[in-house]
Amino acid sequence: MAELENPNVMTNLITFLSSLLQRVAESNDINCRLQPQKISAFHGLARPSISIQNYLERIFKYANCSPSCFIVAYVYLDRFAQRQPSLPINSFNVHRLLITSVMVAAKFMDDMYYNNAYYAKVGGISTTEMNFLEVDFLFGLGFRLNVTPNTFHTYCSYLQREMMLQPQPSLNIAESSLNIGRFLKLHLCFNEDETSHQQQQLAV
Amino acid sequence: MDAFEKLEKVGEGTYGKVYRAREKATGKIVALKKTRLHEDDEGVPPTTLREVSILRMLSRDPHVVRLLDVKQGQNKEGKTVLYLVFEYMDTDLKKFIRSFRQTGEIIPAKTVKSLMYQLCKGVAFCHGHGILHRDLKPHNLLMDRKTSMLKIADLGLARAFTLPIKKYTHEILTLWYRAPEVLLGSTHYSTAVDMWSVGCIFAELVTKQALFPGDSELQQLLHIFRLLGTPNEEIWPGVSALVNWHEYPQWNPQSLSSAVPNLDENGLDLLSQMLQYEPSKRISAKKAMEHPYFDDVDKNRL
Repeated sequence: MAELENPNVMTNLITFLSSLLQRVAESNDINCRLQPQKISAFHGLARPSISIQNYLERIFKYANCSPSCFIVAYVYLDRFAQRQPSLPINSFNVHRLLITSVMVAAKFMDDMYYNNAYYAKVGGISTTEMNFLEVDFLFGLGFRLNVTPNTFHTYCSYLQREMMLQPQPSLNIAESSLNIGRFLKLHLCFNEDETSHQQQQLAV
Repeated sequence: MDAFEKLEKVGEGTYGKVYRAREKATGKIVALKKTRLHEDDEGVPPTTLREVSILRMLSRDPHVVRLLDVKQGQNKEGKTVLYLVFEYMDTDLKKFIRSFRQTGEIIPAKTVKSLMYQLCKGVAFCHGHGILHRDLKPHNLLMDRKTSMLKIADLGLARAFTLPIKKYTHEILTLWYRAPEVLLGSTHYSTAVDMWSVGCIFAELVTKQALFPGDSELQQLLHIFRLLGTPNEEIWPGVSALVNWHEYPQWNPQSLSSAVPNLDENGLDLLSQMLQYEPSKRISAKKAMEHPYFDDVDKNRL
């Protein structure tokens, strides 16, 4: 996806990923109220006041990593959600999961990257917390950081397609849950290198 | 980490010590690689992160070291420590070659061939999974002395080579086994860099001496040029456009048999294909396995 080098494509991608994660988080917030869930290291005491989109834009602005890292970070979040069904992405943990996943992606992929202390500053948390989150995230992923070109391109073309269909993501509830449904179905067939076939996905 | 009893320190890496240890529950002997996270600002070292995730993918191959587990623990100061639990191997190729050098014996041709076949097989497996090792050298090839089983280890510098990323750094690899395109500053290198290292290791197994023992990047290049001839646009199109290219002394290529006597004709042919200047012309690990040199290897057993 050479287009990732194009700044406009990246801006759209950031916007799209943000709205996607926001829908997932909000949908899980409702579920959380219905059934209590495990509290992880990623769970903030309060809902961070910065919006997901502003947060992701901030990371993009300062992390200066390869554009591919954002796709890879998204793959990681998806894997994390599949492997940790009891820790769904919600409004309390989505920010910490995001900064950690981008940081780990950059560290794994790039030969040059900023250190944890820098990412902690970008993410508005302490270095100690950043280090904790990193280890938790790695174990949560079972250290499965490698993304095959196949997987990478599957995610890319999925995102591209969705972005084209929906340049201005709608927050209409009915439509969004439909979208999440589609999103989930698609993800089940991405499982080529994953052993877990849990039905519980990002949104559920 | 009470599950293991440390028996002795067997090595020391950049980020921590390696121990021979016994798993208390089973009595099994393992290698424990301890990784400090002391550098608070850095978090988990990138080498650990890459090594673990890559080995989770590659550990199934008989010629890649088996990572059994990763454990989280705390050291005396209460800081987080990661333990990588590996299968234990009793020696490595560097020690193996040294033991022959010390006694003055040559490594039997049959052993060299078997080791080389296993090495090509392991490298082919890594490359087939989109992984470049980037630091192949005798020290990183573990061995079982009794069975002469070889396993590739130390994938801390390894990386996936197929996703688009910002340019690779060229400050990697031990000098002696470093491919000329890396020395000349190419940032778009691929599987061929590992095959160059494999070629250097091949020659070293036969002669028990490093083929190109340079002590600086420039000296390293001059060692290579003295044996293989100074490259030019004719034999390596694009070479003069590489960032570290300068005018070098002109040498004519020598015959490989002068530097690597005691290697048969098939062996020399394979070696020359591993030491091709132009990376795209260098033989792949998979093709190398099919080379006539390996015709009399018991391929099913390895």
